[in-house]
Amino acid sequence: MRALWRVLKLLLGASPKAMARGAALAVTVLLMGVALLGLSGWFITATGLAGLAGIGIAFNVFQPSAGVRLLALGRTAARYGERLLTHDATLRALAALRVDLLRRQARAGGRALARLRSEATLTRILADVDALDGLVLRLALPVFAALLTHAVVFAMLGWLAGWPVALTVAAIYLPLAALVLALLARSGMAPSREGEREAQALRRGMIDMIRDREALILGGQLAARETALRAGDQRARAASGALDRAERRAGARLSALVALSVAGALVAGGWLAQAGGLDPARAAIGIFVALALAETVLPLRRGFAELGRMVDAASRVDPGASAPGDDREGQETERAEAPILSIDRPEARFTLNRGEALALEGPSGVGKTTLLLRIAGLMAGEGIAIAGHAPENWTEGALRARVAMLPQRSALIAGTIRDNLALAAPEATDDTLLQALQVVALDAVVRDRGGLDARLGESGAGLSGGQSRRLALARCVLRAPDLLLLDEPTEGLDLETATRVLDNLRAALPDSAILATLHRGGDHVIFTERLTISRP
Amino acid sequence: MQDVALPDGAGLDPETAQAVPDAAPPGDRRAARAAMQDRIIAPVKPLLRRAGLLSILSGLLWPVQAAAIAWAVSGWASGALALERSLWAAGIFLLCGLIRAGLDRVAGGILYRAADETIARERELLIGREARRPGGAGSAAVAALAVQKLPLLHPWITRYHVAMLRTSVIPLVYLAVAFWFSWAIGVVLLVAGPLIPVFMALVGMAAEDASRRQMDEIGDMNSMLMDRLSALLDIRLLGARARAAEDFETRADRLREKTMAVLRIAFLSSTVLELFAAIGVAMVAVFVGFTLLGEVGWGSWGNGLTLYEGIFLLLIAPEFFQPLRDLAAAWHDRASGVSVVEELEAMDAAPRVALLGEGAQATPLPGPLSVSMRGGVAFLPGRALPLPDLDVGAGQSLALVGPSGVGKSTALSALAGLVPLVEGRIEVCGQELNAGTADGWRARLAVVPQRVHFPDLPLSDWLSGGRAMGESTITEALDLAEARAVIDRLPEGLQTRLGESGGGVSGGEARRLMIARAVLQDADLVLADEPTADLDALTADRVTRALRRLQGQGAALVVATHDPALAGEIDAQIVMTGENEA
Repeated sequence: MRALWRVLKLLLGASPKAMARGAALAVTVLLMGVALLGLSGWFITATGLAGLAGIGIAFNVFQPSAGVRLLALGRTAARYGERLLTHDATLRALAALRVDLLRRQARAGGRALARLRSEATLTRILADVDALDGLVLRLALPVFAALLTHAVVFAMLGWLAGWPVALTVAAIYLPLAALVLALLARSGMAPSREGEREAQALRRGMIDMIRDREALILGGQLAARETALRAGDQRARAASGALDRAERRAGARLSALVALSVAGALVAGGWLAQAGGLDPARAAIGIFVALALAETVLPLRRGFAELGRMVDAASRVDPGASAPGDDREGQETERAEAPILSIDRPEARFTLNRGEALALEGPSGVGKTTLLLRIAGLMAGEGIAIAGHAPENWTEGALRARVAMLPQRSALIAGTIRDNLALAAPEATDDTLLQALQVVALDAVVRDRGGLDARLGESGAGLSGGQSRRLALARCVLRAPDLLLLDEPTEGLDLETATRVLDNLRAALPDSAILATLHRGGDHVIFTERLTISRP
Repeated sequence: MQDVALPDGAGLDPETAQAVPDAAPPGDRRAARAAMQDRIIAPVKPLLRRAGLLSILSGLLWPVQAAAIAWAVSGWASGALALERSLWAAGIFLLCGLIRAGLDRVAGGILYRAADETIARERELLIGREARRPGGAGSAAVAALAVQKLPLLHPWITRYHVAMLRTSVIPLVYLAVAFWFSWAIGVVLLVAGPLIPVFMALVGMAAEDASRRQMDEIGDMNSMLMDRLSALLDIRLLGARARAAEDFETRADRLREKTMAVLRIAFLSSTVLELFAAIGVAMVAVFVGFTLLGEVGWGSWGNGLTLYEGIFLLLIAPEFFQPLRDLAAAWHDRASGVSVVEELEAMDAAPRVALLGEGAQATPLPGPLSVSMRGGVAFLPGRALPLPDLDVGAGQSLALVGPSGVGKSTALSALAGLVPLVEGRIEVCGQELNAGTADGWRARLAVVPQRVHFPDLPLSDWLSGGRAMGESTITEALDLAEARAVIDRLPEGLQTRLGESGGGVSGGEARRLMIARAVLQDADLVLADEPTADLDALTADRVTRALRRLQGQGAALVVATHDPALAGEIDAQIVMTGENEA
């Protein structure tokens, strides 16, 4: 629940002005709706009275009838504005939520970052973000607008139709609506959570079944798996059915509450007209107002029904939770005389100086990638010093300025080639970018595709595996690091291209220390040393 | 696991398939719409009708409630001030209100059932079909359709049709009532009312467009988020954390501005719709007021209006417009429902490859192991692929070699009964491989695929295939497959859940684990698809050794490979060239 508050704060804080404008108009719409029905009711009753009394000519019809028209048109206009402004504010809030998520996820450790490649993790995050999208538009804003409207209506009604009427309307609406919605939130909490959980499980189950298809068929387990999925579907639908029942029950209760309130206003008005001698036209206002107030409570049930899902999502997307490896204090400058990299660990022991290059070899799974991630400060590990300091003792900025790494499964982003390169060097000129592409032997490919502004699809779709790899390598070149870590830089490249790229790399970064893991090609001339890593 | 059954590009691209209905001439499109109606609406029609009836009944109670209020208030005005009258009116109003709430609740329940039945039926179809007879759509796309998109049918089924039914009854009844009291008010409603459906068509389209764009926009923002999240390791390593977030912010802002430009117009048209309703109600109120004052003498059949009639008409007027507005609001529910059905239909139409048999547990085929294929031609969507003749007996090994794309993987699939033959025959353990024998045959097989997909299970369960076996049995199999070290390295050992990405094990390790699994299954025949592809020499060597050892234990082996080192270790080779060897 606390996480939900933090998400709400984040969403509202994204653009408080836009949010406030939207909320103000939302209240205006509700108030004008109430005023329209109240005024019309009063107007007709009053004209009826005047007609009966034969004083129709003396009745000032123009002000109220102008009021009716003004409110009718004004409400329509306000509704238009409300829709626009709340959508604008919501879109801002959605963006803020996503940016916050991006910033926080970026602080996670190496394994967690690599896990973000998995579709299951990504879909999970997106489902959470989507669940929270409704928090403002379906919950916070309507509740706020309803409360404010009721407060204003209470005062106006007390003044115009008498306090007994105002009190009757408020005493029926507010506590009962709160009760109904609280009950809905409580009874909807479990099914709403469970529905979401089961739906996610079903989604994963379907993916698994289709991907594991052959194994399941061979193991004779396909039929069993289908049965299991059917059961999962049953559970998911049962949960959503339970939620629907809770929501319908709340809806019926809210409708009954409106009827009760109108009936209450009718009795209170009748009593005032009888006992207090109140003008019947004024006494009638309460009835119409109570009727119009339905608009404040009926739309609330949707948001409250989704509360469980939102609470769960918020606890996972919690903006208050700080990821491990949060920004920290640390070193900004190297220790004099220290080698660029020194490793003193059970699995490997070596130092690297300016201009040296070391090829790490060893069977897959022996821990080469882990060692590189440790050096890059994305996994904890003893016995590593970069220019004299352990990776975790550097500030993030200073570490990244010195160390660049090409991960094993490098990723590109959707956008142009320039966008991808700009991640590494936002200020670089076209010449610099093209030079970097030349180093990785990609200049011709990029030229053929229409230059730096050629667009790539999602995750860099449109380039072959080897080309994507080289584009990622070009980004590392642009960083001109003191220490360059390369995890299988030649994977997916033919021998000739691999040789050329490594040669160019050395020539382009003559002073950098290079540490590469290689399945093959470790005997290339640029490597001053080869080291077979042993199992830790 | 790798989709050996479907070579790249053979499956129908879902996007192309979706584009088909749009490209069709209008007549066909109408037919397509009718087909959708048949598919989704027809089966639940009785439920929809019942719910619609209840909902109409509830709508028809409103005039009673309106009359109760009008009766009480007009009583106050004419001096009938006894509290009893107010109490009676309040009682009637409340009673009708409670009945209406109950009716709506019951109607909602029926509608929910209708939607739920539909979703259950369509989901069942997908669950029972997509693994048995894959149609080329990706697993993620199928799962998204089954889990996230099918529920979009819900609002279409629950809202649109009832709104339609209500619209065809309630406004007409109210109109008749209005005409009964005052022809002028009847005319106001008559003019303003039908304008709404006219505008609804316009607005509906614009709103549909707007909501689609808004969804697209959020979709765009989501796919951008997904894109950035999956590149986050690179972004972090490039020191571009802050920059990437700022860049995302700028792009999201641009997206927002674009969306708002569209929404400004789209909302304007729905505002026009509301405007008509508002003007209609305001005109009724003003007209009634003037008539009651006696300033307007026409429009009400000559004898004016009473206060009772006036209040009644005032309360009726907004409800006259309500069903029309509900219908307009439900318009885009239908549109989004229809797009889901289009996707379902496209998936129905995709060419499919069925497996032989049921994929259920079966008693292994009896007799000594033997498999032979003669004149086989595999059936794939859009083409038939000739397969080599081959014979493998117990404990023998065979390598299928040849360039990629020649059909090595398909040959393995055919041997496992995963791809049907259009010509020729496969004989297994002396019987024909067909729907009746396939499950029993597969009970004697194990497959080592190129890309291993780990289900979300503890490794021990996955290795044992769910059968009870001691840890020592598993350890022995791991030793044989040289996979013991892989397990030892994992922090949770045999209890590790590797999950979708197989995070934590490399390709070579995954294949060795798969070989260990084949050992534990006591398979008589192991089919291995490119077991050494993309592996360094050292690792490839380990996999080869493990396979040899597997054969040493008595299993027969069929390997598809283009690794000469591996092929050299195998007893016999068949070179596939793509020509029909039969």
